[in-house]
Amino acid sequence: MNVKTISLLVVLVSLSLLASLWMGQQAYTWLPPQASAESKLVDDLFSFLVVLGSFIFLGITGTLLYTMLTQQASRFDLSDGPPIEGSVTLEVVWTVIPVLLVFWIAGYSYQVYQQMAIRGPMDIVHMHMGTPSAYAAAADAEPIEEIDVLAKQWSWAFHYPQQNVTTSELHLPVDRRVRLSMTSEDVIHGFYIPAFRLKQDILPKRTIEFEFTPVREGKYRLDDSQFSGTYFAVMQADVLVESPEHYSQWLTTVAKGDRVPAVNSAYTEYNTRQEKGIRPGWPTIKPAAPPLVNQG
Amino acid sequence: MIESISIALEQPKHEPPTGWRRYFGFSTDHKVIGIQYLVTSFAFFLIGGLLSMVMRAELITPESDLLDRSLYNSMFTMHGTIMIFLWIFPSLVGLANYLVPLMIGARDMAFPRLNAVAFWLVPVFGILLMASFFLPGGTAQAGWWSYPPVSTQNPTGNLITGEAVWILAIAISGVSSIMGAVNFVTTIVRMRAPGMTYFRMPAYVWAVLSAQLIQLAALPALTAGAVMLLFDIVAGTAFFDPERGGNPVLFQHFFWFYSHPAVYVMALPAFGIFSEILPVYARKPLFGYRVVAVSSLLISVVSVLVWVHHMYASGTPGWMRMLFMFSTMLVAVPTGVKVFAWVATVWRGKLRLDTPMLFCLGAIMMFVFAGITGVMLASVPVDIHVNNTYFVVGHFHYIVYGTITMAMFAALYHWFPKITGRMYYEGLGKLHFVLAFVGTNLCFLPMHLAGLHGMVRRVSSYDPEFAFSNVLASLGGFLLGMSTLPFILNMVGAWVQGKPAPDNPWRAIGLEWMVSSPPPVENFEELPIVISGPYGYGKSEPLVSNEAALKPH
Amino acid sequence: MDSSITSEQSIQPALADVAHDHEAHDHAGNSMFGFIVFLLSESVIFLSFFAGYAMIKLTTPDWLPPGVEGLEVSAPTINTIVLVSSSFVIYFAERALKQNKLVQFRLLWLLTMAMGTYFLVGQAIEWRGLQFGLTTGIYGGLFYLLTGFHGLHVLIGILLQGLMLGRSLIPNNYANGHVGVDETSLFWHFVDVIWIVLFCLIYLWQ
Ligand code: HEA
Ligand code: HEA
Ligand code: CUA
Ligand SMILES: [Cu+2]
Repeated sequence: MNVKTISLLVVLVSLSLLASLWMGQQAYTWLPPQASAESKLVDDLFSFLVVLGSFIFLGITGTLLYTMLTQQASRFDLSDGPPIEGSVTLEVVWTVIPVLLVFWIAGYSYQVYQQMAIRGPMDIVHMHMGTPSAYAAAADAEPIEEIDVLAKQWSWAFHYPQQNVTTSELHLPVDRRVRLSMTSEDVIHGFYIPAFRLKQDILPKRTIEFEFTPVREGKYRLDDSQFSGTYFAVMQADVLVESPEHYSQWLTTVAKGDRVPAVNSAYTEYNTRQEKGIRPGWPTIKPAAPPLVNQG
Repeated sequence: MIESISIALEQPKHEPPTGWRRYFGFSTDHKVIGIQYLVTSFAFFLIGGLLSMVMRAELITPESDLLDRSLYNSMFTMHGTIMIFLWIFPSLVGLANYLVPLMIGARDMAFPRLNAVAFWLVPVFGILLMASFFLPGGTAQAGWWSYPPVSTQNPTGNLITGEAVWILAIAISGVSSIMGAVNFVTTIVRMRAPGMTYFRMPAYVWAVLSAQLIQLAALPALTAGAVMLLFDIVAGTAFFDPERGGNPVLFQHFFWFYSHPAVYVMALPAFGIFSEILPVYARKPLFGYRVVAVSSLLISVVSVLVWVHHMYASGTPGWMRMLFMFSTMLVAVPTGVKVFAWVATVWRGKLRLDTPMLFCLGAIMMFVFAGITGVMLASVPVDIHVNNTYFVVGHFHYIVYGTITMAMFAALYHWFPKITGRMYYEGLGKLHFVLAFVGTNLCFLPMHLAGLHGMVRRVSSYDPEFAFSNVLASLGGFLLGMSTLPFILNMVGAWVQGKPAPDNPWRAIGLEWMVSSPPPVENFEELPIVISGPYGYGKSEPLVSNEAALKPH
Repeated sequence: MDSSITSEQSIQPALADVAHDHEAHDHAGNSMFGFIVFLLSESVIFLSFFAGYAMIKLTTPDWLPPGVEGLEVSAPTINTIVLVSSSFVIYFAERALKQNKLVQFRLLWLLTMAMGTYFLVGQAIEWRGLQFGLTTGIYGGLFYLLTGFHGLHVLIGILLQGLMLGRSLIPNNYANGHVGVDETSLFWHFVDVIWIVLFCLIYLWQ
């Protein structure tokens, strides 16, 4: 290799590196607002993966495109290319580098996962070989807001045990660790708030604990993320992250309200269809009665 | 089993071809069976594609306005099932059926009758599955994973439900696949021509062998899970019923213990196709042939150890998440070895950008993209965010369409002259490539964006903020649908009235190119005696010592 | 240089012989090989059931259905001994066939079938005496699924043996080899080994 090709290579590599870094910055705009402490960790990890991924992608497609553009045989050239069968050096290099990259990515992901300490996953279910206590780290010191989550086909209900309040919206205090105890009445549902980057399946007959810290006031969306049948798509709820004062004020007001059936999209949609006699679909499980919630 | 084998023992009498009719009968010729597989599976591809067109039409607006929600659920369930069990699997098996005996210098598969039975099960379960559209309760609607308890809920109370039929169809598909796998493994291990050592087999044969070994090792787990699910539905057992002490997560383990490796059953033959086609159109030997060959086996081995990456959110304990994250990422290494080898094969070659080559190169680029999003998914914290969103849908369509279906097209163009004895039309082929390439990216790239923003999959309505990505995806989807038209036109037209093809139109090196186009029933007049490795481009070593004797004198 | 050419030349006629011999494919060998591959794959179904059984047993708090104390072990043990011994009997039957002692073969073969049938009948008697059914909780389901699926294999084994016995009455049927018998016998050993694991899992590990 002469100086010219080497410097050309260096220039090309730096250019793709720059482009990849730029992609890494763009990556943040492909994501919803960062509304939980965990979301920042996840986004940084994702951005890192985008940088790495872009670099690999540019390298490979760049080489392929270059070859396609410059090394076509002319129509009448029937000769063969050089019979290169392989190169041990090259093969070792492109085995070892991915191995190192894999260790890097896995190590970084592991670190992020530990810091998230979302704990959620059940401890009872399997024969565990030593429970990793590190995951449950962080939170013990701070005050924790405990809320029960109840999922059924197709509604969410949130129960605040201290005030004995049930609602169909999830209100959360900002900057405070939240611990959810989640249960399902029928099938598997999934608790997913995109703005928090958090997701956990809720298994019937089992209580699953889940922890996180909201850090940004605002209104977000909670989705059911595990397919749960006909009205899966409308099993959504609003999540309101409020200042602590606002939050406790809301709790006291709502605690005085009467319990009434919540407004529930699946239930409404099913009943309107029944009443109007629209039945071009197939028989479906009936939506469960909407939960009784405190009037706000 | 023994019976069918011992029937197969009685040497099948190869009758001379009786025109087009033999494609509709119980033929034991591996070439006829291969074509039967290819044509049948392509018909199902059109049906599965049609269902996806309906889904894309529903999803072009945020509201659920085109279909009832239960119908939408049935659409994606059947789309996923058809595409995987009735398009990708049988089409790849069909291609392997056609090529493997020719490539290893055998006259047929080891068990020709078993082969025919395995094929005929495909239309049987395909029609069975389609029939569930006419049941009062409709088709299965629980997604192609059929997770209980959703899949065991039965609003009509009937015994024969779409779900039961679905399980039955999957079970028959499993029987057919196991028959095929036994046949392929036996054929490749025991029927190679004299001199065809393992390291003289084309990389495609290695890939098929590795894929079929996965079928044998992993498919029975799905069978076990399906049997238990069927019992839960029709006999009232409680295996997966949490109300009565059952464990629904156990089903997920059974399902993914098979269905993850299954994605490599689909991917490996596609990799094999790249390894086969690139050297021909680059006029260079496959770079690092031995490593590429062995990496197929490595991928099979690692692939049975990663299934939990589909279940990070299912309530798996932390140590399990971390363990499977690592094993999943390891697959990137043997796969990367292949990708780099392909790039090095093309590098400094004398490229000819004919249709098969274009499809291969396009598919490799999209595969690298999909692999990278795959590694992102493997990372637990990222997956916790994007799991069950359109990011996953985008990831796997870049593979199942962008890589595997594209590889299949590449293979169909490349071996078309061999299979039919006619040349396809190059112009239409290039048009097909351009439409498919643009369509794939337009359809599936925006899905990643929707997923990152939090759009959940399997929904018939969604928040208006996702409308833009979905409009793009739908337009891309329709373009993809259109792109099949030039393909069909090309294949049918060329088969009927294309220019007659020479035996070896691409000047390719390989046993299948040494016989006439199409090959005679017995493949080789005399069995080839192989004296050198595959891909001898640029070298002047002969592949066999008795080339002249292979064809009838 | 010279020597390499000569060695190549000396190999080639030998290879060419093989190539000319159209009928050289060893069909019986293929069949046996394919059958072994099939059995290996089949064993994964059992492995999956075993793994599922172990996982549920370890994680379910109320494992046995109410009122059920556990399984009686003595009768199944006798059953087990009979089934396992039949593996030896079938081995001697096979050997007799190889020595062309057809009558001895048929007798031993029949004995194997009888022992297999004894096992099945014993199993059926046990099933009838149990105070739980297929739908009695997850335990009942797993018990009947595992023993039933294995019993089905025993039944298939006996049917295959009957088929082979019938064929032995055709004159000269085994003149060209006896893969069918070898495969049936292999299948029988397979069914036995599975039973031993099953017995340990269900009866001994309570
Ligand atoms: C059919 C083929 C196929 C293939 C080959 C793959 C390949 C991979 N897949 Fe994919 N996958 C699917 C089909 C496929 N997948 C399907 C169908 C689903 C969804 C099913 C459903 O939910 O319905 C899915 C879902 C899926 C998930 C679950 C997501 C979720 O549900 O939350 C994950 C998570 O880990 C994953 C990961 C991977 C990885 C790591 C690879 C790797 O094998 C990729 C390896 C390749 C590369 C990495 C590129 C080349 C390598 C290099 C150039 C070397 C250097 C690179 C690095 C070091 C990064 N896939
Ligand atoms: C394995 C292969 C495979 C292939 C090739 C495809 C191909 C396509 N898929 Fe598929 N898809 C899956 C496997 C596949 N898919 C799986 C496994 C799922 C998950 C299911 C689940 O969640 O359970 C899924 C889910 C899935 C979804 C998500 C649904 C949801 O979660 O709500 C979407 C949405 O857009 C989609 C779209 C498409 C499109 C547009 C194509 C296009 O590439 C198709 C292009 C279409 C054609 C080429 C056919 C054109 C034909 C005609 C226009 C008419 C023909 C005429 C007659 C039949 C008379 N697919
Ligand atoms: Cu078993 Cu997780
Ligand atoms: Cu997977």
